[in-house]
Amino acid sequence: MKLKNFAAASIVTMMAAMPALAETTIKIAGFGASSGVVGIFGQNSSAAMQAAVEKINAEGGVTLANGSKAMLETEYYDDRCNAEEGISVLRRIATTNAAIAVGPTCSNVAEPLFGILQAKVDDAGDTGLQFPIFTDVAIKGGLAGISEWVFRNTPSEATMYDDLFAWLRATYPDTKTIFGGVEEDFAHSRFTWYSVMKAAAEKHGFEVVGEGQWLLNDTNFSNQARAMRRAEPDIVAISAHPFTTCGMLREMDRQKISPKVLVGLTSSSSLETLTGCANEAEGLIIPTSFAPVNDAAKYAADAVAAKGGALDLHSAAAWENFMILRDVINAAGIEGTAESLQSDRRKIRDALGALDTVEGLLGTNKRLPDGEAVKPYVFVGAKDGGWAVVHNPGS
Amino acid sequence: MDYYFFIDLIQSLVDGLLFGTTYALIGIGFTLIFGVMRKLNLAYGAAALAGTYVGLAAAFVTPLPPILVFFVSALGSGVIGYIVYLGCFRYTPSSHPMAALLASVGMLLFIDELVIHLSHGMPYPYPSVLRNAEITLGEIWIRGDLLFVFGICVLSMVILYWLLYRTSLGLATRAVSQQPRAAQLCGIPTGQVNALTFVISGVLGGTAGAMTAAAVGVLSPIIAMSLTTKGLIVVVIGGLGSIPGAIIGGLMVGAAENVFQLLRGVTERDIYVMLLLFIFLTLRPGGLFGNTEGRD
Repeated sequence: MKLKNFAAASIVTMMAAMPALAETTIKIAGFGASSGVVGIFGQNSSAAMQAAVEKINAEGGVTLANGSKAMLETEYYDDRCNAEEGISVLRRIATTNAAIAVGPTCSNVAEPLFGILQAKVDDAGDTGLQFPIFTDVAIKGGLAGISEWVFRNTPSEATMYDDLFAWLRATYPDTKTIFGGVEEDFAHSRFTWYSVMKAAAEKHGFEVVGEGQWLLNDTNFSNQARAMRRAEPDIVAISAHPFTTCGMLREMDRQKISPKVLVGLTSSSSLETLTGCANEAEGLIIPTSFAPVNDAAKYAADAVAAKGGALDLHSAAAWENFMILRDVINAAGIEGTAESLQSDRRKIRDALGALDTVEGLLGTNKRLPDGEAVKPYVFVGAKDGGWAVVHNPGS
Repeated sequence: MDYYFFIDLIQSLVDGLLFGTTYALIGIGFTLIFGVMRKLNLAYGAAALAGTYVGLAAAFVTPLPPILVFFVSALGSGVIGYIVYLGCFRYTPSSHPMAALLASVGMLLFIDELVIHLSHGMPYPYPSVLRNAEITLGEIWIRGDLLFVFGICVLSMVILYWLLYRTSLGLATRAVSQQPRAAQLCGIPTGQVNALTFVISGVLGGTAGAMTAAAVGVLSPIIAMSLTTKGLIVVVIGGLGSIPGAIIGGLMVGAAENVFQLLRGVTERDIYVMLLLFIFLTLRPGGLFGNTEGRD
């Protein structure tokens, strides 16, 4: 009797479990730096991806070619902001059932990594990896052009800083000079000062009266601050990540340097800067493609916070990428089987390539033919230990 | 040579010498351990950083005045130093000197990763004292906080000297450093002396970590590698095993770093510091005060 009961119970349990077993899942891999000194970027992206997947699945998941529903799943792979590890991670992801990957964090990983992908789709002579990537964080300009398998949802720093300096010219007409501080050994910081901020400042009539350079793990900024003090600039622009931004701001405070305007690097519009030096950062203005200024953005920020992350311009892009991919998968008609994996990847790539506009958290994002994006942005300023919108060019 | 350049040169030298005392403390820690055990502890910089975080964590739990935060940082680093001793040196066979060295490399990576994991790699404000104080001598500014860092580091060195030359523990430490077998035959517990050396070095490292963070005003895991590299350069220049050498080496590296930054810019600065290291390694491998005497 007991054996019969056990058998019956087992059959009922198995039948109840069958729909779950039969349920198709579509995997979207995430990758980037989730450990190491810039690990917070990857941790925030990972939390944003998990929160986005939870929302999408709660709303019914995605629709496959045969009309059935599939749930999304995601797994985050750590590349430690190291190019070799990034390449190895991507090769590993490509061997899994992932339909697409979202990442990486660092531009110094993105550049060589995109180089291992097939440059032009359908080029039989190019044996590069045929795997779609939708970048959320690595922000250095123009990288999507390396491969037609790469799409990016990162803001255009050139556009944002151009607009920022135009706004500064109009808002602070008595400011004439600028001093640039740059973290010389970090690709993004260097690129942004020398190729973006400096060019934009000069274009809008600001005179560059000096430059101070330091390295990512420097602990002494007195020489640079002295040069800054002597130059007496109206504006100080700091193109550096939070640790040295804070170090420099503290040194400026110590040497009683108070410019009329402080401008920071996009990546510093984060919780890290405020955790490190909220008082000294007071008034720091940064252009960013994310701020919780509307209901959708506030909802996303809360959902990511519930997963232990913080939504900033980088992790907001990870959230947006998953929402865009949900719509892309729905439209692309993928099959979601092991046999269709490569053709599904291709369909997703093609569907991403066909997009002209997508909805983002701050409004409509324009998709460009080279895989880059033009995103709405706001200017935020550090105020009372938080980031407040000081100007919204879109409003 | 224009006037401002001359002022900048003096200012760079002063700042470098004051900040160089933190390098000297790190160098002393490396050299103490090497002097007693004839082994390099490469996890030393990471342990110093971890200890500095212990002080900061204590300040998060309960508000503490800066001096107490520094003290807890030093103590925390001392405890971690002891753990490093147990994990990497106590039980590794002395017949395989590379084993302890490589174990300490493993420990360096482990501690570094643990700190990054627990702190999420975030920079945190670290308390400093006399932050806005300064002494002005004409155009030269002497930063109050750096002067404090200098004072604490000098005080630590004085206490260390007192410990080494005026106490029985110091006598035992020097005995083990010079003749470990003879010291053991005389009844000195070499194991305990070794362990205490790690604790004392850890306390010095924690003080250096705390003073570095206090000088910047921010604590970040990024500092660990810099502490390790600078400490090793200091002991090579000063001479492995020599405390006066570590002090002079620390001040030299601090000054050279700042002066070369002024003269050649930040991107070339480290080239010249490394060149200095290379010159010492080739022309004077024992460093300035390296002990050329052997031991049993």
